[in-house]
Amino acid sequence: MATENLSQEEVPENLKKQLALAVRSIEWCYAIFWTISSEQPGVLKWGDGYYNGDIKTRKTVQAEELNADQLGLQRSEQLSELYASLSAGETNPQAKRPTAALSPEDLTDTEWYYLVCMSFEFNVGQGLPGRTLAKNQTIWLCNAHQADTKVFIRSLLAKSASIQTVVCFPHLGGVVELGATELVLKDKKLIQNMKTSFLEVPYPNVSKIPDQINKNVRNDNGLVHHQVSVPETSLNELVEYPEVNICSPNNGSNDFGAKQPNEELNIVEDIDGEACQMQSWQFMDDEISNCVNNSANSSDCISQTCDNPEDTIAVSNGKKVTDNEMHEAQEFNQKKLNSSDSRGGDLHYQSVLSTLLKSSQQLILGPYFSNSNKVSSFISWRKDILSSSQILQTSTSQRLLKKVLTEVARMHENCQLESGKRDGKRDGLSKPAIDDIDRNHVLSERKRREKLNERYLILGSLVPSGGKVDKISVLDRSIERLRELEKRIEELESNSDVGMLESRTRIKPCDAIERTSDNYGTKKNGNSKKPLTNKRKACAMEEPRTDNGCSLLRDSSTDNITVSVVDKDVLIEISCPWRESVLLEIMEATSKLHLDSQSIRSSNTDGILSLTIKAQFKGSKTASTGLITQAIQKVIRRY
Amino acid sequence: MENSTQESNLRSEICVTYDSPYPIYAMAVSNAAAASASTHIRRIAVGSFIEEFNNRVDILSFDHDALSLKPTPSLSFDHPYPPTKLMFHPTPATSAANILASSGDYLRLWDLRDSSIEPISVFNNSKTSEFCAPLTSFDWNEVEPRRIGTSSIDTTCTIWDIEKGVVETQLIAHDKEVYDIAWGEAGVFASVSADGSVRIFDLRDKEHSTIIYESPQPDTPLLRLAWNKQDLRYMATILMDSNKIVILDIRSPTMPVAELERHQASVNAIAWAPQSSRHICSAGDDGQALLWELPTVAGPNGIDPISMYAAGAEINQLQWSEVQSDWISIAFANKLQLLKV
Repeated sequence: MATENLSQEEVPENLKKQLALAVRSIEWCYAIFWTISSEQPGVLKWGDGYYNGDIKTRKTVQAEELNADQLGLQRSEQLSELYASLSAGETNPQAKRPTAALSPEDLTDTEWYYLVCMSFEFNVGQGLPGRTLAKNQTIWLCNAHQADTKVFIRSLLAKSASIQTVVCFPHLGGVVELGATELVLKDKKLIQNMKTSFLEVPYPNVSKIPDQINKNVRNDNGLVHHQVSVPETSLNELVEYPEVNICSPNNGSNDFGAKQPNEELNIVEDIDGEACQMQSWQFMDDEISNCVNNSANSSDCISQTCDNPEDTIAVSNGKKVTDNEMHEAQEFNQKKLNSSDSRGGDLHYQSVLSTLLKSSQQLILGPYFSNSNKVSSFISWRKDILSSSQILQTSTSQRLLKKVLTEVARMHENCQLESGKRDGKRDGLSKPAIDDIDRNHVLSERKRREKLNERYLILGSLVPSGGKVDKISVLDRSIERLRELEKRIEELESNSDVGMLESRTRIKPCDAIERTSDNYGTKKNGNSKKPLTNKRKACAMEEPRTDNGCSLLRDSSTDNITVSVVDKDVLIEISCPWRESVLLEIMEATSKLHLDSQSIRSSNTDGILSLTIKAQFKGSKTASTGLITQAIQKVIRRY
Repeated sequence: MENSTQESNLRSEICVTYDSPYPIYAMAVSNAAAASASTHIRRIAVGSFIEEFNNRVDILSFDHDALSLKPTPSLSFDHPYPPTKLMFHPTPATSAANILASSGDYLRLWDLRDSSIEPISVFNNSKTSEFCAPLTSFDWNEVEPRRIGTSSIDTTCTIWDIEKGVVETQLIAHDKEVYDIAWGEAGVFASVSADGSVRIFDLRDKEHSTIIYESPQPDTPLLRLAWNKQDLRYMATILMDSNKIVILDIRSPTMPVAELERHQASVNAIAWAPQSSRHICSAGDDGQALLWELPTVAGPNGIDPISMYAAGAEINQLQWSEVQSDWISIAFANKLQLLKV
């Protein structure tokens, strides 16, 4: 008897009902029928499905109460519609979907999983359904949500949906997949029930089979007539246990010709007394065809299946446990199965998700976290984990963050020399906003400062730079330069001695500047406590600076040393604040430098000593202008 | 697992710690692998937070294989006042040219070479006015790496062209101090401020800005902003003294898409996942770093995080770099920790 030749796209009409019954009877979450696609032979795709899981939002047009059956069917239909509309890639699905239709936000995670499954396709041999079909065996996957994606391509999707158990078995040329949100241990009875309910035949015509089976049960070496060149597979590979029956899709043959790997034997052996159970797994193709044609009596079916397990329970209970344990161990030991297409499965999964989900407007499930199997520093979040690391909040909240935003700014502002501006040290977080009047003032103040700075820049560009570009140095250099230039003019006008001039001009500007900056540099740091003596010589200052820059300015105007050397003649001009014995010290210093003072002219005005010394080098040793200057500076600075 | 003992129980393979001699705040992960070593070494810059003039920026080497985090003494430099933010060049041309930017008083660029760090330039915001308003934060545009946007307490945001060394534009962004800035596209950025608003600016139309969110209590400052680089529709921001993270969709202004409220104290830092558009990490004063996954539909009780980590002290900084998307770096007290995701 031939298997009913299903045209690939067609799924028997009552399949949905059968799926529904099957899934409801075991109270699992969903049932899917994967069928061989007509366009792509060798590819399994969505045939039909029934969703029996949690529903979040009901959307019905009718007001009447539907019974559970109808509700479930309706839900499944709605989900199918939703999938169709989403995959059509409408940009505005909301507009087109009728109000009673579902939209993505109405779905629970499990429904979403079911929906996304509609997009999947499996090559024969790939993925759970594919492998089921290829090997013609039932595959029972526990902990689907934690499975390696190579084993179970949709594992991450399952994780979000909390699908923990997935079972696939070949049926009618396709694969039936059942899924549950609880962890259900492998239970052959369950499968047997499923099939029975599907096929609606309580007992297959197994009359001729038992003998054969029994024979095989004891046969260690593989089943002679069951054939197949299935190599010895190790226990580790065991996820699937053999499908004894064989609804081999491609050959509608009658025999058991199932590929029965040796694992079966292992199982079988454990279950010594379970011949009857084995029996019930075996369905012949004719029964299948019977089942298909049989549209009624599903309820009969179920009651009959109930009978079955009871028979076997007594026999097999004890063994069952060990068997289950073994299988569990095997399942948990799953190594990567040789699924070369698993990578492709990943990509498919992701690409489908992304296209599907991009059309949705809400926040949606995104690509998974790549941490499924790895160790992580993070632990799962639980609501009851109170902050037992009781960080006692003695300090303010967000203390460091607030500091970064405000205190650092304050530090910088304090550092700014021109701190004449708002002493609104802005604790910006608690201060009210500046009102308009203040703001105007601030703006005009800012403009004034901008003007000042412009002029400083110009001045700075006029005098040669010695490295320091701050305003004080600019001013100092300007003063120096002016004085130099004045002297030059004087000399040019009064003295036409070329030599003198040359030597004078040979004073490199940088020397002069270095001197002065050095002077001020050290003074700046050490001098802050010195009282201001603002007496200045004629000095072109734009604006009197009364803030803390003043102490520095005093230095710039009152300390002045000019040294010029021509052959052996040295001319030293000094102006510095007068103090007792400064003159004496300077003279000592000059004599230490082998200078013979020939004439000294000094005057003391307003506390400033101005001194002119003409000297000559005695002996051959000559000191450079720098040396002389330094020496004198030391003296002057020494208090 | 008890949180208090979690730290001690952590195995070293999932958590790498560096103890700094001083408190740290600013942190950045280099986008270029260290030139000399294998590609398993990643450089991390850490800025100190000492309330004085002298602060330091240290460069640490994180070895993925050996799971070690060590400082390189030769690559350590002084920084005036604490750096408010550190960031590496998003797309360094060669592994040798590794540029680090720091903000504080000015925006500074530093060249990170194998054995030394050289300052490249200092960008002074205002050449014509006598002071430069200190910078609270900045962001380096990944699409246009010559653009850096800085935010300042003088209510302005300045966009620099660092290759030319000039200001591209300066906008008065808010009514009050601007606390954070983030780039979306090449010419679009968003900023948050003490005035409690998130505004988006487009450089092509500088006259106008879009307010996409305002804090419910008027004038509650928004302290930090993060723009989801995987899905530019979404942004996250945190408020002052609040344990909420507000997720915003720029297409629906004023209404937050979600408010994540599971921290037990104020939130200090947020970072979107670089590899996934639906995940975000946050850290706060409760010492917890929470990983969230934003779902399709939120349950009636709000969104719960998917996982968490408890450090021993308030976590002040959080960085999740694209180049090492399986490690999250956090800073708390004097420690820098790298957590495996």
